[in-house]
Amino acid sequence: MHAQTFFIAFFGLAAVWFGVAVFRTSSMVRSALALLFSQTAIGAMFLAMQTEFLGVLQIMMMATEMSIMAIFMVMYMMDPGGLGAMEMTHQKRFSIAAGAIGGGAALAVAVLTPWGPVVAQAPAAAQQTRALGLELLGRSMLVFETAGVTILTAMIAATAVAVRRREGKAAR
Amino acid sequence: MTTVAVLAALLAGAYAVAVLEAWARTGRMRPGGPLFAAAALIGRESFVPRKPDRLFFEAAPVLLLVAAVLAAAVLPWAPGLVIVDLATGALFVNAAFAYVLVALIMAGWGPDGAYAMVGGWRFLGQLIGYSMLIVMPITAVAMRAESLVTTVIVDSQAGVWNIVYQPLGFVLFFIAAMALAFLPPFDLPTAPGELAGGVEAEYAGRRLAVLRLARALLVVAVALATTVFYLGGWRGPWLPPWAWTGLKTLAVAAAMFALGGRLPRVREAHFLAWCWKLGIPLALLNIFVVGLLVLAVP
Repeated sequence: MHAQTFFIAFFGLAAVWFGVAVFRTSSMVRSALALLFSQTAIGAMFLAMQTEFLGVLQIMMMATEMSIMAIFMVMYMMDPGGLGAMEMTHQKRFSIAAGAIGGGAALAVAVLTPWGPVVAQAPAAAQQTRALGLELLGRSMLVFETAGVTILTAMIAATAVAVRRREGKAAR
Repeated sequence: MTTVAVLAALLAGAYAVAVLEAWARTGRMRPGGPLFAAAALIGRESFVPRKPDRLFFEAAPVLLLVAAVLAAAVLPWAPGLVIVDLATGALFVNAAFAYVLVALIMAGWGPDGAYAMVGGWRFLGQLIGYSMLIVMPITAVAMRAESLVTTVIVDSQAGVWNIVYQPLGFVLFFIAAMALAFLPPFDLPTAPGELAGGVEAEYAGRRLAVLRLARALLVVAVALATTVFYLGGWRGPWLPPWAWTGLKTLAVAAAMFALGGRLPRVREAHFLAWCWKLGIPLALLNIFVVGLLVLAVP
């Protein structure tokens, strides 16, 4: 139990530390990879909390997502190679206020919610995977499908906006 | 004890893979080759380029090594001969392989050199092609085993190996595994003769030795994954189980080298087009067919 508390705290602090590093660096790629390792630390927290499937999934998804984000960040920079240094923060006052309010709200939810009794024994890892599968294909399916279709629509719309019309078809 | 045995097996595999790779490339079998090459690399100066991103530069070879070893850690060599038999083993393999990309981006970015950076970003493009073709065939494998546990996946192939049960999935996974380990014809991030070594270009000495070792271990890991998922793992007559795993793994690696050496390097755009327009529909078809088979032939 003590080991579990220690590892949850350790990876939690690592996540916060990498999160701070996102804004402390002046390199696009360092910033993106710091965010990646922050999310990986959250995945490790899931593992420390004995939720194996969620932890492994988080660690897997973030590696590719944040790397792809890195290349988009570099692509949209003025400097094509992305080797130039730049400031990672903007709208500082607004960001600080938004961060403080968001953090306060998260803390309030964590402290004020009546969580009910803590489960003494986590179900076995294979059992968790099965329960998650049933949940995702049952009650939560509509939520996930809605989110997925929304993202797909946004992607198609973004591509349609970005693609330059050919000369002949522009008049149509 | 198990951990030590598996790590020793991985190192032996890396050595054998290095011999095989040199054999496939030069046509000469030199059993001492990898040892001499390693000694030469460690003896040489390991210079650091001007103005590197030092953290990425130093961490990248180690991260590649760790990713390859972690992927192999959940793959069994024999019943009981596996470092951790995770309940989410088949998913964990993917998670570990995803960090190959992170390592190569760091190796490409770190040295502050044009060739290296082009190589690193190229691999990101390559991932967008192959990653679905790693995940979706494994989905079909897990469907048949009704489990993500790698040892259960091997047990599920007691009657018919998955290479026979789902040959389409095998072909897709085999090609994607070659792209994941950036073997020719998918060696876009290193591209000798075109990018001057790409992500390897700025590394020398002991750092390059770690990078090369990590690459060899990665080839062992993808070949071992192919063995466990499609070739019945440790199953086979007469020989002890670990010997079958080793033999099949080396055979897969040899097939990858032999095939890759005979094909011209693919272009990034062509690779992406084939993966998304042909590969992913075929992978979906594979999942559908395996689903029907699982329902019809229990």
